[in-house]
Amino acid sequence: MAAVIHTQGLVKRYGKVRALDGLDLDVEAGQIHGFLGPNGAGKTTTIRVLLGLARATSGEATVFGADPWRDAVAIHRRVAYIPGDVSIWPNLSGGEAIDLLARLRGAKRHDRGYTAEKERLMEAFQFDPRKKGRAYSKGNRQKVALIAALAVPAELYLFDEPTSGLDPLMEVMFRREIARVKAAGATVLLSSHILSEVERLCDRVSIIRAGRIVESGTLADLRHLTRTEVSFEGTDASAAAVIAGAHDVVAEDGRVSFTLDSDQVAAALPELALLQVVGLRVNPPSLEELFLRHYGDDLAALEGNGR
Amino acid sequence: MTQLRVLLAQRLRRDWLQLTLWIAGTVGLAFAGYGGVADTYGTEQDRIGTLAAVMANPVILLFRGLPSGADESALLVFLLLPWLAVMGSFMSTFLAVRHTRGDEEIGRLELVDATPAGRWAPTVATLVHGTLAALALGILVAASFLAGGAATEGALLVGASVAAVTLVFLAVGMLSAQLMRTSRGANSLAVWILIATFVLRGIGNAMGTPSDDLTRMESSWLTWASPFGWGENTRAFDENQWWPLLPCLAAFVVLMAAAFALQAVRDVGGGIVPERAGRAAARGALSSTTVLVSRLSAPSTVGWMVGGLLTGALSTTLGKVLDQVAGENPTIADVLRSLAASGDLEQAVVVVFFTMVGLFAACAAVQTVARARQEEAHGTAEAVLATPVQRVRWLANFLVVGFIAILLTCAAAVGGAALGATGDDAGPELLRAAVVAAAGQVVAASVFLVLTALVFAVAPHLTIPLGWTLVSVAIVLGLFGPLFDFPDALVNLSPFAVTPQIDGDGVDLRGLWWLVLAVAAGGAASLVLMRRRELAPEG
Ligand SMILES: Nc1ncnc2c1ncn2[C@@H]1O[C@H](COP(=O)(O)OP(=O)(O)O)[C@@H](O)[C@H]1O
Ligand SMILES: [Mg+2]
Repeated sequence: MAAVIHTQGLVKRYGKVRALDGLDLDVEAGQIHGFLGPNGAGKTTTIRVLLGLARATSGEATVFGADPWRDAVAIHRRVAYIPGDVSIWPNLSGGEAIDLLARLRGAKRHDRGYTAEKERLMEAFQFDPRKKGRAYSKGNRQKVALIAALAVPAELYLFDEPTSGLDPLMEVMFRREIARVKAAGATVLLSSHILSEVERLCDRVSIIRAGRIVESGTLADLRHLTRTEVSFEGTDASAAAVIAGAHDVVAEDGRVSFTLDSDQVAAALPELALLQVVGLRVNPPSLEELFLRHYGDDLAALEGNGR
Repeated sequence: MTQLRVLLAQRLRRDWLQLTLWIAGTVGLAFAGYGGVADTYGTEQDRIGTLAAVMANPVILLFRGLPSGADESALLVFLLLPWLAVMGSFMSTFLAVRHTRGDEEIGRLELVDATPAGRWAPTVATLVHGTLAALALGILVAASFLAGGAATEGALLVGASVAAVTLVFLAVGMLSAQLMRTSRGANSLAVWILIATFVLRGIGNAMGTPSDDLTRMESSWLTWASPFGWGENTRAFDENQWWPLLPCLAAFVVLMAAAFALQAVRDVGGGIVPERAGRAAARGALSSTTVLVSRLSAPSTVGWMVGGLLTGALSTTLGKVLDQVAGENPTIADVLRSLAASGDLEQAVVVVFFTMVGLFAACAAVQTVARARQEEAHGTAEAVLATPVQRVRWLANFLVVGFIAILLTCAAAVGGAALGATGDDAGPELLRAAVVAAAGQVVAASVFLVLTALVFAVAPHLTIPLGWTLVSVAIVLGLFGPLFDFPDALVNLSPFAVTPQIDGDGVDLRGLWWLVLAVAAGGAASLVLMRRRELAPEG
């Protein structure tokens, strides 16, 4: 499949800060690609470079095979973007802002299709278009950008933390829209620091840390790298030691817990049955765990400071 | 208490450059004025003659203070005090709104409100911050008079008057920030109050009773309805009355109390004056950045056009009155001629007023480009530039709309001049002078348009402060330079000072081609540099 986004050794410096430090990212056509990292990891900077709003210090970046700095306008014709921190014009109503942005992206003034699509989205996201921009909350500003982005079809959607500020009901709506654009064959790059969101929506994930991609692959690939967590009631850790492939066995708070390589879970079940364990829990590997593998030392440092 | 200190320190850090420039400008005006008055109105006879002429002329009283005797310092106070107070008042209204409603509107205040600093601390911190700024201004104005050799009590009283009026407008700003939901709304309400009370005071003085020797005026009751009127009635270097400062302090306390009371009854983010609902969908026209930029700039441009219209109308009506004044007082005639460089007196008046028009036009232009920076800092530019809109074209839109704002402001002024000249024998002549002056001012104002755009392309973070500073410097050089006898080379640095003028039957082009060259080069350079620049959001 063709790469829609390709970066290699991408570096972006702001003064002394290396916001991007050799970023290698590949997103292929039709993927919903999760772009995961905590605040300050460089997600927004990456997207700005991909849109030609920021200029890379060094390295290579292409979108649809074109250089985003030089061919920004050509790329923008095929892209829809939701900024991480949406702001709208204080003296334009929400409806006016949506129409303006959609028209700049190519919607025709009296296009019935566009109007119908906009109405549908405003209904779905329960958006009141008549208020003036300054009266909108963060969530509502987010909706302006969402509706303007989704009402005009695009080949590539760049979403920078699109659900921050949306309530859970709206998040469900957002997921439906993602499913819709995926079905239409579009590519999506979805930046987020919310693991569950990425886990639900994306078929590939790249984890960014301090301006570099530290892990990238399908969810299944990544799960493979992680262990399943198993625990049962008990106080005697040696009970679990007999199970083949068990790691990190501990007894704590009245439970014995250990981890298994994910492909050995089935094999361990008979042994657990023999032990006649009570209160068995099997937690499948989560992105969270994977994420913490890369950020665990940061977490430890933070906890250290907290003490 | 510590929270208050933190918030206060944050305000001082955010404002120090802006306040320093503002205060230095005001004090500089006072200081320069001192030398100027000594030169222009050297003898007591000159000053008595000038005051007598002024008494007969309501329009001059509109723009100057309260005549209080022929003492040299008192005359300077007459000429300058209202303007010093106006500068201070603008400083404090903007300061008040910036740190209250401005922060609240963008949600920054919510962050602070949620901390132990609580709901009141930011307002109190702004009050203290504004008070300190007003006091600093007052002390420095007093010091500049003392440095010029003026009497001590008078100097202190001038400083106190400026500080007192500045404080009143701090409270006006705080109150409008409570009333309106947006900082824009609050700023315009406060500025309208400022302009209205300034005019009120001028009319009140014009309707007053002159003394027998025509060197002093008793204000009529109208003047007493205005903080500027209270400040003037201290009559520094004359009677040295301190009590008119009491109403200033009373107004300050009452308005402040009202602001706190309103804050107590409203929600964070809410206002007292309700908002109107907007359109559900955009009009067909709102489909390009050109239209967007025009729409964003329209309200302020209309404001500058009104200013242009009024100034234009004054320029042709005033000539007649001044002719008469100048007949009695050759010094005034000289001053006007020195501003106008050539031509007869009525035409000279037109030229002087059109310098003011050029200034308005430049402000309209700077404001338009400043809006590009606001769009960028605020984040709306990012949304637009992520669509198929070229960066260079986007900036060009602001340049074009800014140029149109200049044209409209100058055209409104010519319209006003035509209105004012109807029925005057010399009408056609005056109108010709007005058209030539207006055309010249279009070019001069365009210099500020491209300079600000250039700053925007090279150092985006400095666009707003530097753009306005450039205009202010040019104003001081162009308008006050000839009055205070700055060297020619310095005065001619101001584009307003080198525009074409009527010269007998012909037109003296003066620096026109230089200005045109500067506009073309600056405009092109800003666009070329914009191509190479990435977006620079705030922070
Ligand atoms: N315009 C800028 N100027 C200076 N530093 C910046 C700028 N934009 C981002 N940075 C820095 O680059 C790093 C990455 O930021 P960002 O891309 O916004 O992260 P994320 O979106 O993942 O939270 C941060 O350390 C941030 O402070
Ligand atoms: Mg971000």
